[in-house]
Amino acid sequence: MLKKGDLFIFGFVIILIAVSFFGVSLYKNSGKNTNKIAVIIKDNQEIQRIEIDAVNEPMEIMISGEYNDIILVEKGRIRFKEADCPDKVCVNTGWLTEKGDMAVCLPNKTMIKIEGQSSDVDIVTY
Amino acid sequence: MNNVKKTILLGLFVSQALILSIVESWIPVPAPVPGVKLGLANIITVITIIFFGFREALAVVFVRCVLSSIFGGGGWMLFLFSVTGGILSAAVMSLLYKSGRDKFSITGISIAGAISHNIGQILVAAFFMKDLAVAVVLPVLLISGCIMGFFVGLVSSFLEGALRKTRIFD
Repeated sequence: MLKKGDLFIFGFVIILIAVSFFGVSLYKNSGKNTNKIAVIIKDNQEIQRIEIDAVNEPMEIMISGEYNDIILVEKGRIRFKEADCPDKVCVNTGWLTEKGDMAVCLPNKTMIKIEGQSSDVDIVTY
Repeated sequence: MNNVKKTILLGLFVSQALILSIVESWIPVPAPVPGVKLGLANIITVITIIFFGFREALAVVFVRCVLSSIFGGGGWMLFLFSVTGGILSAAVMSLLYKSGRDKFSITGISIAGAISHNIGQILVAAFFMKDLAVAVVLPVLLISGCIMGFFVGLVSSFLEGALRKTRIFD
């Protein structure tokens, strides 16, 4: 059932998967030992930056627009808690904890992503 | 085949693709990233390419996307999201199909289509969010696209055999 040309397709696909895995792991590891900053973006404008490891009390952030999203932040993690958009992709993404994690609400053009940022103290010596 | 018959058959294809995409939205997919879908409507795209051609497949994909965003809601963003993936995937599959049935199997063509669909969607998301970082979900999407493309291809080749026996396309 499989034919000769299929091998080219499979080869191409495998190369594509390998390259994308490599690229993503490079991106995720590029900011090790940094503070994790959750960035909330709405309509291509940054509306809030939160250092999620420094959050002690859980808090909720309301985003209103064409649709409404409720973002929940706890220590070390952040997620879309509720949304009234039709597809709920953002809510189903769940918790974001690692650098490079992101949740996107396309209908509302809202995005949460976690970026790394070098901490203010680079090296502590005694 | 005369025009009336062609119009009726394409209309049937659109309605079946629409039903498949609605049924698909009821089936939860356990996946760690957004955007992983079964892609059942792709079966109809493959079948349209086989029995009609690229232009007809394009029409079926476009009308299906318009109707499914009307029925499913989601507005412009989700429409653009699905139509870009759909058109890219129909284009890639037609190209491979036209370049020779003896070279590529329906399964291989369908996998290529599923992956172009995923890449198209990432491009749209990256364009609208103005952030290439959305591509972090690409590895997972590519793998799920391969698996689903394989099954869609199997179903399509069985369906092709069954439809040929009915002789409705003669």
